[in-house]
Amino acid sequence: MNKKVESIILMIMCFILGMAVVVQINSVNNNGTTISSNSKESDLKTQVLKMKEKYERQYNELEDLTKKLEEARQQATSNNSELEELEAKIKQDNLLLGNTNIKGPGITITLTDGKKELTLIDSADLLIHAENVLAVVNELKNAGAEAISINGERVVNTSAISCDGNIIIVNGKKVSTPIEIAAIGYAPRLTTLSRAGGTLENFALDGKGVEIKKPNNIEMPKFTGVYSFKYMKTR
Amino acid sequence: MIFISILIGCILGAIVGINIPTISYTYSNYLAIAIIAALDSVFGGITGILKKEFDIKVFISGFFCNSILSMLLTYLGSKLNVDIYLAAIVVFVGRMFINLTIIRKYYIDKWSKKYEEYKIKKQRNTKQN
Repeated sequence: MNKKVESIILMIMCFILGMAVVVQINSVNNNGTTISSNSKESDLKTQVLKMKEKYERQYNELEDLTKKLEEARQQATSNNSELEELEAKIKQDNLLLGNTNIKGPGITITLTDGKKELTLIDSADLLIHAENVLAVVNELKNAGAEAISINGERVVNTSAISCDGNIIIVNGKKVSTPIEIAAIGYAPRLTTLSRAGGTLENFALDGKGVEIKKPNNIEMPKFTGVYSFKYMKTR
Repeated sequence: MIFISILIGCILGAIVGINIPTISYTYSNYLAIAIIAALDSVFGGITGILKKEFDIKVFISGFFCNSILSMLLTYLGSKLNVDIYLAAIVVFVGRMFINLTIIRKYYIDKWSKKYEEYKIKKQRNTKQN
């Protein structure tokens, strides 16, 4: 190998090395992180992951125990008409409280953030806010929806829909776009949400993405939270 | 010739590096370890030149293979949840320090020899006068 080839190869290598160093410095500066906060961050990350795993394990255990409880209840009430009635009542109540996985006909509304091509519109109008979701849920309830879920989170009577920066919180869980709001009910009436001048049309005019579907069978998970009433008592 | 090409390469690399987009934080780990590996082989190359056993083929293969292998090891570590990149950093930086020591010793020897020669010359001059 002569000197010319050697120097060209060295130049290429220096080019790669210099580029890599500058890119690395730039990206580290962009992220505003140093090594110490990096390890802290990863610590926090692992902690969150561990907590999540723990939660999932406990939740599965709870699920198993609930099944066992149901079986035991069925065995206990199988030969007693009075208790059978009570069992049916419990089932009905659980259905109303959202404690069971359900299915039925209805509609799904998918809300997505608008694209940025429409520069005439205020960019805040393009995004899906918590209030928008709340408005749709309200309209659905008004139209007679029996059960509503937002990205798989059941809306029950203790549910709150709130804003948390750039995400939406439903039942204390993070929900982000695309937001799929599913509602079980009489579908022809629920689809009247898309009427002219209605909430959904206003969203579309703002530049948000709105899509309505009418599946014959919507499956909804049960409410994963816990009801706890401390102050409420029957008179 | 070689020094000029190295200088041009570094400057061009820096200019291009400023203008191309930055990488995401997840991958900056890999780039960092690759940079350390490349720097290690650069110092290794300098030591090789000083020891007069420099081979361009070994140098180039070390430069690229070390970088890629260290990135792969980092990836493996992230999959196994073991910080393998720490071991790579320890090895590379350790070697860098060893090579730096060799370079330093070489130049100290060279300069001290020159100084002694200079001293001897001066003494001879004074004697002659």
